[in-house]
Order: sequence, then C-alpha cells, then structure tokens
Amino acid sequence: MCIDSQMLSAYLDGELPEPYRTQVEEHLEHCAACRKHLEDMKALDKRILDAAFSEELLLRNKDRIYSLLDKKYFQSGKKVSFIRRRLEISLPSLITAAAAVVFIFIGGFMFFGTSAEQTEDILPSFALQADSSNVHYVSDTAGLDNYTLEEILQYLDSKGYNVDISIKGLQPLDTTVSEDAE
Amino acid sequence: MEIKSTDRDDFRRIYDENYHLLIQVIMHIVYNIEIAEDLTQEAFERFYVKNMTFPSADDAKYWLIRVAKNLALNHVRRNKREIEMVEKARHNPSLSAEMRDASQAAVEADEKRAVRMAIESLPENLRMVIQLKEYSGLDYKAIAKVLGISETNVKVRVYRARKKLEEALSTEDRDVY
Repeated sequence: MCIDSQMLSAYLDGELPEPYRTQVEEHLEHCAACRKHLEDMKALDKRILDAAFSEELLLRNKDRIYSLLDKKYFQSGKKVSFIRRRLEISLPSLITAAAAVVFIFIGGFMFFGTSAEQTEDILPSFALQADSSNVHYVSDTAGLDNYTLEEILQYLDSKGYNVDISIKGLQPLDTTVSEDAE
Repeated sequence: MEIKSTDRDDFRRIYDENYHLLIQVIMHIVYNIEIAEDLTQEAFERFYVKNMTFPSADDAKYWLIRVAKNLALNHVRRNKREIEMVEKARHNPSLSAEMRDASQAAVEADEKRAVRMAIESLPENLRMVIQLKEYSGLDYKAIAKVLGISETNVKVRVYRARKKLEEALSTEDRDVY
C-alpha cells in the first residue's frame, strides 16, 4: 500500500515522527509512484519559494525604519511611563460607555422622579430658594407710578433684598427712560 | 533569555532577527512594498509601546508575526477599494527590480504572478499556514503557536493548501499551453 499524501507532505517538511519516518523512507526505496509524488511536491514547493519577494526589495528600508524607531523611542531617553502607554479603547465600546452614563443619569430622574429632599441632596443652596413657599406672585394694580425709585429701593432694602439696577436703552431726555429693577 | 520590548538592545536584536520575516509575511498579504514597510514599522512600534516582557526571543517572534499578520489582514479588509491598486502593484514589473534580462524577467514575472495569485485565491486559513510554512521558515509547532491552532491542524492545512495549489497551478499550465 502506498503512502498517504498527507504523510508525505509532513515528511517533506521534516515533520514526520520516527517510526513513520523510516517506514516512509523504506517505502520510497521501491515505489516509483510515491517517489514521483514526492518529487512533484518538492517541485511545487520550489515554485512557491521562488515566488517569494526578493531580499533586495524587502530590506531596502530596513535600516532607515530602524533608525526612525530608535530615534523615536530610545534616543530621547524616554521610557514608556504608565500614563504614556497607549490606552486602546475601541470606538463602539466608548460609545456604549457614554450611552450608559447618559442613560443612568436620565433614567435616575425618569424612574424615581424628583422631590424637594432629593433636590436638596443634590443642590442644597438651590433647594432652599426654589421651594414653592418662597416664591410670591406680586401684582400691584395701581402700578409703581406712585412711588419714586428711591422709595422702591428703600422698601426693598428694608425687606432685606439685594437690588441690582441696570438701565437699558438710554435715550434723549424728552422720551421715556425705561428702568429695570431686578 | 528574557526579552523586554522597551530595552534598547533587546529591541535591536528582535528587530534585526525578524524584520525580513515580518515584511515577507505582510508583503504576501498586501502586495505593496510601501504599505508593507508601513505595517512592519507599525508592528515594531506596537511591540515597543506595549512594553512587554517575553520569556524568550521565539515568543517575541511569534507575537510579532501574529501582530503583523493581523495588521496586514485588517489593512486588506479595510481597504477593499484599494484592491485594484494592489492588483496593479502586483502586476507591475518594476517590483521585480532584481531581474536583468527583460524577456527572462517577463517569464519569471509571469511564473511568480501565477503562483502568488494561486496562493491568494486559497481560503484564508490555508493561505496563512502555507505562507508561514514557505516564507517564514517556521516549523509546524511554531506555526501552531502563531495561529493558535494545533500542530495536527497545521499538518492538515499545509497538505490541503499544497493539494489545492497543485490543482490550481496545473490547470493554469493547461490553459497556457
């Protein structure tokens, strides 16, 4: 019986372990067909090897690239510090992580709503002022025309407000001057 | 001997020992010397930047081949549009700069091209194995380590690749003559 082609292929590569190796050699001694088969395989191998790219072409920039790398990494005396090591995060995972953060943030409010106590936990100074009991709607049917600016300011001052006054759109004297008191 | 990728002497040694091998492996995937040089450089940069320690020079070598192979395969996948250019580069006779006699060069170039095309048309799992076997001088054990498959698997794939190449190349001969 002739040698299995796969065995012959391994034999050609010198990868056939011992009991088989000798057996193959003995068989080759007296089997022309298998010898031919092996020769064909060798010929094919040579063709493949000949199709390799030439050293001349492949190595043309070997030294140039080496000196480039050497300069980049060794000549400046730099060592790779922990921080400089490239952190490789793929884009999809980055997007997923960002989406997760947003989801948790928004989801927290969506599912649990907000209450004054929670607001106070998060933004104490805001909660104090924004509580509904602190907001008064004021309307004065007579308007503020009866008061001088000074009186208004004194009144507000006595109530303990800080008042900023800004004057917008200054115009010539004979037209109305609008004043915004906040 | 332990290899530290950020040690200057180790780096130099690994570079010298493996540059040829890596660029050969990459070149047989991308078929363009400029791209192959870029990717080879990239492989060595990763080697340095990863700041790794290898138990032996062989382990560093296997790691590098794996990285080089993946860089090249990714490049080809990502640049499907450039494939035509690659095609052109492969058929470009200026690649065979080593040839002196023009007519002889043409015949040899044809032969090389036929073999390269036959190899390229193999399925990827067979192609990588036969290329590593033929062009990198690695034995079955080393190829198995690089590709993360068993030695038996390497043996089978080498054989299948040979069989397919034989068929492909002999049909081609019949077409020609």
